[in-house]
Amino acid sequence: MNLDARRNVIISFFILVIGIYLFKLFYMQVIDDTWTLRAQEIAEKRKEIFPPRGVIFDRNGKKIVTNQTYYNLMMVEDSIVDLDTAAFAKLIGWTRQEVRNRFKEIVDGEGSYYNKISRKRTPNYQKIRAYPFLKELTLEEMSKIAPHLANFPGFYEEATSARNYPYKSAANILGYLSEVYREEIDEDRFYKPGNNIGRAGIERFYEKELRGVKGIKYIVTSALNNAIESYADGKYDTIARQAAPLKMGMDVVLQTYGEELMQKKKGCIVAIEPSSGEILSMVSAPSYDPNLLVGKRNISANYPKLARDPNLPLFPRPLQAEYPPGSIFKLVQSLIGMQEGVINANTGFPCDKSLVGCHNHPSARNIAEAIQYSCNPYYYMAVRRIIQQGVKKNNFADAEYGLNKWYKYIRSFGLGDVFDTDVSGQRPGLIPNPAFYDKWYGHHTWAFSTIRSISIGQGEVKLTPLQMANIVAIIANKGWYYTPHFVRAIGSSGSLPQFRKKRWTMINYRHFDAVIEGMRRVVNEDGGTGKQARMDNIIVCGKTGTVQNPHGEDHSVFFAFAPMKNPKIAIAVFVENAGWGGSWAAPIAQLMIEKYLKRKISDKDKETRMKEAQIAFINAD
Amino acid sequence: MRKQESLTEHLDWPLFGALLTMLLMGLATVYSVAYNEEAPSLFDFSEKYGRQLFWILFSLFLGLLVFLIDSDIYRKLAIPIYASTLVLLVVVLFMPAVHGAHAWLGVGSFGVQPAEFAKISTSLLLAKYISGLTVKQQTTGTVLTASSILLIPMALILLQPDAGTFVVFTSFLFVMYREGLTFDPILLKFVNAIPGVRYKETWVGSHFIPILFALVVLSVVTLLLDSVQFNISLFGLDLELSGSSGVIFGLLLIYVASWLIMQRFSTRRERSRMMVVLTLGLLIGSLLSFIVDKGFDMLKTHQKDRIELFLGLREDPNGDDYNRNRAMAAVGSGGFLGKGYREASVSSVRSNHVPESETDFIFCPFAEEWGFVGVVVLFILYFFVLFRIIVIAERQRASFNRIYAYCVAMILFYHFAINIGMNIGFAPVIGIPLPFFSYGGSSMMSFSVMLFILLKLDAQRKDVLR
Repeated sequence: MNLDARRNVIISFFILVIGIYLFKLFYMQVIDDTWTLRAQEIAEKRKEIFPPRGVIFDRNGKKIVTNQTYYNLMMVEDSIVDLDTAAFAKLIGWTRQEVRNRFKEIVDGEGSYYNKISRKRTPNYQKIRAYPFLKELTLEEMSKIAPHLANFPGFYEEATSARNYPYKSAANILGYLSEVYREEIDEDRFYKPGNNIGRAGIERFYEKELRGVKGIKYIVTSALNNAIESYADGKYDTIARQAAPLKMGMDVVLQTYGEELMQKKKGCIVAIEPSSGEILSMVSAPSYDPNLLVGKRNISANYPKLARDPNLPLFPRPLQAEYPPGSIFKLVQSLIGMQEGVINANTGFPCDKSLVGCHNHPSARNIAEAIQYSCNPYYYMAVRRIIQQGVKKNNFADAEYGLNKWYKYIRSFGLGDVFDTDVSGQRPGLIPNPAFYDKWYGHHTWAFSTIRSISIGQGEVKLTPLQMANIVAIIANKGWYYTPHFVRAIGSSGSLPQFRKKRWTMINYRHFDAVIEGMRRVVNEDGGTGKQARMDNIIVCGKTGTVQNPHGEDHSVFFAFAPMKNPKIAIAVFVENAGWGGSWAAPIAQLMIEKYLKRKISDKDKETRMKEAQIAFINAD
Repeated sequence: MRKQESLTEHLDWPLFGALLTMLLMGLATVYSVAYNEEAPSLFDFSEKYGRQLFWILFSLFLGLLVFLIDSDIYRKLAIPIYASTLVLLVVVLFMPAVHGAHAWLGVGSFGVQPAEFAKISTSLLLAKYISGLTVKQQTTGTVLTASSILLIPMALILLQPDAGTFVVFTSFLFVMYREGLTFDPILLKFVNAIPGVRYKETWVGSHFIPILFALVVLSVVTLLLDSVQFNISLFGLDLELSGSSGVIFGLLLIYVASWLIMQRFSTRRERSRMMVVLTLGLLIGSLLSFIVDKGFDMLKTHQKDRIELFLGLREDPNGDDYNRNRAMAAVGSGGFLGKGYREASVSSVRSNHVPESETDFIFCPFAEEWGFVGVVVLFILYFFVLFRIIVIAERQRASFNRIYAYCVAMILFYHFAINIGMNIGFAPVIGIPLPFFSYGGSSMMSFSVMLFILLKLDAQRKDVLR
């Protein structure tokens, strides 16, 4: 037997095994990237760094939204050594049971995820992973805990950023942030569980502009999930960039002042700069401190309270309260009448109370007087001329023709639909057109007599305060407007393009003088309904209104712009259940105008009276 | 009296050089993997690389001692050395367990593993015993004696338990095969008990070990393919074949191929003999494959789980298969050129993703840092060492020396194959070190002494007149 040949068997065996191994290693290392990915998964953590959100300035460069550092108390179960529950509970001001419960809560809550396939919450708790034990502690709270953390291995502090609103106002405009929903994470890969997203207002509308660019840091981590070093000396890292600041057209001083004036009342104020469409102030009363809704802890504590408040502080009145516009509609009707040529500036009508009720005043000899006296029969007759122009033989068809024309005019004022703007949560209001009445009454079964209440802004017509304030801005501009909006500039680029487009109504500018004269008289002539809004040195043009309220006292409404020449502010004030327009809304409007134009209030008594008045406001308990 | 020669005169420089290269590569890898920024000095003996350097120097010193001693002593003292090793293997069983095994003899961190040295003493005794035999002398007694030289330390090692070293001891079977130790005496007892059968030798008996090995490999392949379904479309028939049928199909192909080759290249007489072997092989192989397949299905779930995990059929990255999964990730992420020296992100000791990355899994950081290129270099170096040992073995006049050299080659190869197999998912995770690379005193000393004895025997080969 040739045994020497057997050494070749052994050498072949070596070569075979080494060959197979090299083949496998070549496959593993060079061809297949499964293991490379697995190694990345294991050792290289992509740490996403979220920049602080963009800050927001008001029109005068005041910082109205900033960021504040908060702290999370993090916990890694594997690193906890002999936790003295009693001492720990004492440190964070909890009971021992609460501490124990929190551990359980983390395992079931943060430590699990919703499995889409099985549709169940699936446990994924890992002892080596860090979980926030306490969230959103202030510096003050953390500074009490932090010095003692050395006694509690496994616990450490971690800084996070949250919103801060130094002026404590404009909650309804700015909105708030809250944790992203699962669906939002699925939709936009930017977010990670636990991130915040703009949930309302400016924070929501400008979410993409405010959130900035997140940075990605690749780090090498250990099996205990500790970061060891940056991967490849940070070659692949990207830097987090904070978003450019937003500049709002809002005047935070005016906004805060408006909220003070409206305290203990329900209602709203909308002020617009006519020349730009920028919203100077938008008060929704009662208001609340936006800091109440910063962070999960605050939201869960305060949101239910706000939601349960019978005064409805969360209801965005300027955008969603749809009122019959009342007297302000007379201004619009005058303009349409003149443009249509059915009346002119000097058209007079007798105050015929048999047509529609009115208060005692001399008959209006022209439009200015009609506005000054807010004469109902005048507008009954004027609008009848618009609707029933006698073009068609059939009375019903004639009304349809007239209403169609009227509708087109009204729509050119931006009414009957929401504005395409950064004001979120608008309601469209309601402007009836022939189709609306056809549906309501039937085709060719209605005429002016059926729909006459729209002539004085009652009946089917409904507008939001924002829309009404915009009507005032249009009158101040004599026929055009920019879409009302909040943000005048995003970083160094200007506002959104749709805010820079001048929108013309179908009314010629010549017709506005008569209306403006009427509004001047309302405030500045003795016997005018808006004399409470009168100011020295500045001519305020206004119009009172009273919105009939079937549920109780009428709402007090006042519209104004000032100064008469080169207007700087157009304003609409609504005070719910406060009676006629001159009583509360006019003085508040005057104070707002004065605050905006002069920054100083001459009549301190009036200011105090307005601030302290409590109208239809339900006190908590 | 021999002439006093210089110590290094007959030293096999290629093997010695390869050894030094390996030691340096190993030290560099330990330095990289266990690097501590606060103690960057290689001579810092509080760090693992410092200690490894110490072990290397100490092992070289032991090598020097080996060279000072006349090599004749190993043959002469083989029995006492073996006996004292057995005593130590018994004593160690009464020592406190470290990591669940009674493997360490000594105090604290400075312990030794008798099992490491058992490899040397078993090699020596096996060499001594087999070198005293001739092929024709083989009886049941000689086979049993040779086997028990292995089986006694193996049994003691299994009691520790130390599965890794136990498996390494099976490498001696290949040495026995090389030396023509046949299992015929035992086999013939059974075969010739059949009336009318009278064999002097069997093919199976003389090739018993490779056949055994082939059957084990066949069983493992069957299990590996067990979860795979083959869909074969043959003449419009859609056949669904399970794993074992795949193996049987493969065997059939080999059978047909071999038959065709034989028709062309062999004589008629050889052919008929080989046909018997091939046919029997096909039948036995198919039967085994079938039995393994069905037998596996009959196992209980948890037993199946263990076997599947053992074979790497199941991924369980965070459970039992954690180590291997992490190790494979480290190796596989090395790429073609590697991540660069001291850039291992998965397998550094600090990151601790791969446990034991400085000892049993030292191949991980090496492969991660140097990539496929480094792996090829390492493999070439290892193959060179193994091949050189075989060359040395075959040039010995004394069969004792040759057998010992084969023992060393097979042990090193086993360590190499299992250790690296562990890192690439081919072998189960049984803790055995990579010779001359892994951190640790016992293995460093035992492998060095083992190799230096061989070098010494080789240096003195011309003194032996037999």
